[in-house]
Amino acid sequence: MNDLLVMAQIAGRRCAFHAHDVSSVIEVGAITPVPRAPDFIAGITAMRSQALTVIECRRAIGFDPGRWALDHRAVVVTVADYSYALRVDAIEDITSAIGEPGHVPGGFGPEWSRVAAGMIETQAGPALLIDLPTLIAGREPFGAAA
Amino acid sequence: MDDLLADFVAETREMLEASEGEIIAWEADPSDRARIDTIFRFVHTVKGNCGFFDFPRLAALSHVAEDALADCRSGRREADSAMVSAVLAIIDRIAQMADAIEAGEEFPEGGDDALIAALEPGAEPVETAPDAVLEAAAANGSEPIPAHEPASALLSDSDGASDTAPAVKKLENGPAAQRSIRLPVDLLDRVMSGVSDMVLARNDLAHRLRQAGTQPTIDGPFERLTTILADVRDAITRMRMQRIETLFSALPRLVRDLSADLGKQVMVDLEGGDVELDREMIETIRDPITHIIRNAVDHGMEAPTERRAAGKREIALLSISARQSGNTISIVLSDDGSGLDEERIAEKAVATGLITDAQRASMSREKILQLIFEPGFSTAEAVSNISGRGVGLDVVRENLEKVGGSIKVTSTPGVGTLFTMQIPLTLSIIAGLTVESRGQRFAIPQSYVEEIIHSSSKALDFTRVGETALVTFRGNRVPCLMLTDVLELPNAVSDGADAPMPASQSTMVILRLASGDLFALAVDNIHSHGDVVVKPLAPAIMKSGFYAGSTLLDDGQPVLLLDVTNVAAAYGLVSDARGRVFKSTDDDKEAADQTACRAMLFTDFAGRRCAVRLELVQRIETAPISAIDLSAGSPRAVIDGVILPLIGLPDGPLPSDKLRLLRLTDGSCELLHAVREIDDAAELTGALKPANDDPMIEALTLVDGKTVALIDGHQFFARYGEAPEVVSKPVCRLPETDWAKTILGPLVKSAGYAIAQEPSNSADATKPDASGTSADIAIWFDDEYEAAIALDMDFNTPVIRLRDVPDSSGGAESIYRYDREALVFALQQARSGGGRRS
Repeated sequence: MNDLLVMAQIAGRRCAFHAHDVSSVIEVGAITPVPRAPDFIAGITAMRSQALTVIECRRAIGFDPGRWALDHRAVVVTVADYSYALRVDAIEDITSAIGEPGHVPGGFGPEWSRVAAGMIETQAGPALLIDLPTLIAGREPFGAAA
Repeated sequence: MDDLLADFVAETREMLEASEGEIIAWEADPSDRARIDTIFRFVHTVKGNCGFFDFPRLAALSHVAEDALADCRSGRREADSAMVSAVLAIIDRIAQMADAIEAGEEFPEGGDDALIAALEPGAEPVETAPDAVLEAAAANGSEPIPAHEPASALLSDSDGASDTAPAVKKLENGPAAQRSIRLPVDLLDRVMSGVSDMVLARNDLAHRLRQAGTQPTIDGPFERLTTILADVRDAITRMRMQRIETLFSALPRLVRDLSADLGKQVMVDLEGGDVELDREMIETIRDPITHIIRNAVDHGMEAPTERRAAGKREIALLSISARQSGNTISIVLSDDGSGLDEERIAEKAVATGLITDAQRASMSREKILQLIFEPGFSTAEAVSNISGRGVGLDVVRENLEKVGGSIKVTSTPGVGTLFTMQIPLTLSIIAGLTVESRGQRFAIPQSYVEEIIHSSSKALDFTRVGETALVTFRGNRVPCLMLTDVLELPNAVSDGADAPMPASQSTMVILRLASGDLFALAVDNIHSHGDVVVKPLAPAIMKSGFYAGSTLLDDGQPVLLLDVTNVAAAYGLVSDARGRVFKSTDDDKEAADQTACRAMLFTDFAGRRCAVRLELVQRIETAPISAIDLSAGSPRAVIDGVILPLIGLPDGPLPSDKLRLLRLTDGSCELLHAVREIDDAAELTGALKPANDDPMIEALTLVDGKTVALIDGHQFFARYGEAPEVVSKPVCRLPETDWAKTILGPLVKSAGYAIAQEPSNSADATKPDASGTSADIAIWFDDEYEAAIALDMDFNTPVIRLRDVPDSSGGAESIYRYDREALVFALQQARSGGGRRS
């Protein structure tokens, strides 16, 4: 398996998305907030004539986004026919994976283990491979923002 | 291989759909060669395709059907009802198998042999629906009905296929009438979003062009681009549309099977199959329609014997028609069955606790009937296997309301029942109103909006009872929700001076839910209204329950579309019993407060904000371009059969094919004022500053900080007003000669008369009373008249007598036939009531 990966920093950690899940990387324009939606949904924004749901990844995983920088770009992914823009600390690079995603004994910590599809070795070093559907589903209601 | 398989399934299904009608028609007349050929082609193609794939069972089934049909075609075998049923059973099985293949499932073994055996000449009829008809008919003690009776009923008598035209005509034209290609929906969506992008880019460009000032060399082509884009957008929208025929075509078969099962005879009349509807919407209404038809056939229609006893035709009539009016489609399903039993419905509703006895006593029949849509309601004492399965009418209504539609029922005992469904034209493009609260915009589907009222208006009477806010709308207390509270919008944080707007300052959008409940939604501002393209929202957002989708404004900014029904439900505002609690309050108080001058605000085609006193406005009309006549010196329009003078039209071509018109009246005269946009009704509280430069403007005033020109009603009517010319004119009887028709006729017409339609029989023409035409005035030649008098005829209309010679002879009151002035004068005299009776 020699997959291309989009590398990004989320909450200070290096994470990876499968490149085939990523449709583009966009500059984030105006975001329309969505009142009464879960807090990890930053709002909706327009990409061409499509409406994207903007996900604040740090909050979706369970961290306070105020502690990290915010990239002005966002990763656009499509999950179950809906498009999402993922806001992260920084979008780094595209690189290729070395080997299969694997697990680390002891897991990645409670927040990370929930959204992780495993650890993957890349050209740029190890990264946490993000499982998009769980990331986008957000935390269960009981998880308060850290 | 998978692609091939998908194509095979798709082709089979398409052919099935196309031949559905043929099959029914064939059943009506088994000897019809053309039908046999079509069905033969179908099974033949299936058989051929099966050869490609390894589907031995499909191949075997289609093979025997093909054989049997081939025998019929060559005359070796007579098509009888047993054979028709057997072939139908096989075709059904083929459809089921195709479904299973598509789903990748194994079709359950067995059963094929019985079907194949049933096709053998002289075989026992297979257990299918038509058989049940025979049994049911026998059980009812009436004479046996031929198995194909229901189907022939569907198509009316095969010779005089005039009254059930649409369905039959379609069959005659054959499935090849409309050429079509198969496209994936997401490709359409891509094209559609591409066009939306183009519109956004155009808007951006328009903005920049405006900034750059007028540049004739660029503006022309830009206008052209705009028009083209509007056309393309329209066409793309139509691509998503599908004729409702696709839904209708399955109904005859459904009714046939149902009526056969129940031993009833039902004729289906389909109308309006060419109405187009969004594909998604067709899927949404499929179940509700099926359900209502099931109910109608099962409960609504009596058995043939009962019908005969009631003096009705044995064959019941179920008619389904679709009509488009504006942005909604109405589908009417009516049957001529026994009608709804008001007493039983009321009893049931009381028994189940839906209403109390006291409430029942005060409810109208119409209200009681609507109870059948309440959850937990079903009058059927014995749940039959037809209408017992599936959903109740409450689910039908719920599903329709989900897409912004509504349903209601009317019924006359013993005569029939009529269901009226109103559904929006499309799910994806709706008319929307954009509102703003706390600096954020939201869209509301226009179909819910009843009225927009600025709450500074005294009539609104904003009060709070406990925590609930109430406003008065047309004399009723209506609950009021603050959009800011509903969505928990943060207070404006930017500048401290901008304190949250008090509710009494905001604008009220009065919303009417599909159930008829009203409530007011307080917003800070109204922005615009127009068609919005609704895009779905991610599930995580949908879960919050407040939004129905998102849409993009012209500047590309996304806004959320509010789910009005859900918001209302979240606040417990949707309940049919609630409306009665709120009694209308004293109207006189409101009237006493109303001292300020109320005016209708609008924008005219010159872009000017204008106001006209509300008392002058009779109605707001929307007229198609075709109703407007520019041929005469001054433009006119026909509204409700009356020709009215029209002012305020833009110079040059009309902007759209519909025009908004204000119908103004001073009590006797009427005139129409074309407007670009109607803004609101408002109170003119600011000082009126007389304007002297434009005679048409009475004064300038301020509304919401902007200048508004108040139209001078007196000048308007003095200059343009005229009494409406009634199209139904007084009727004038003319002599029966060519001269009268070609020369006198136009003159009489221009004097404002219609010409009486006389029977050509000249004997009758001399007897105005016998001819039966009720003319308001009659013109007779003098000699004719003398003759009539001699015959002692009774003239009950004023008469104008014409003579052939210029000089008056004999002193009789007659007019020379080319004395135009005298003639016109006489006609006008007669019209104003002073007609001379000789």
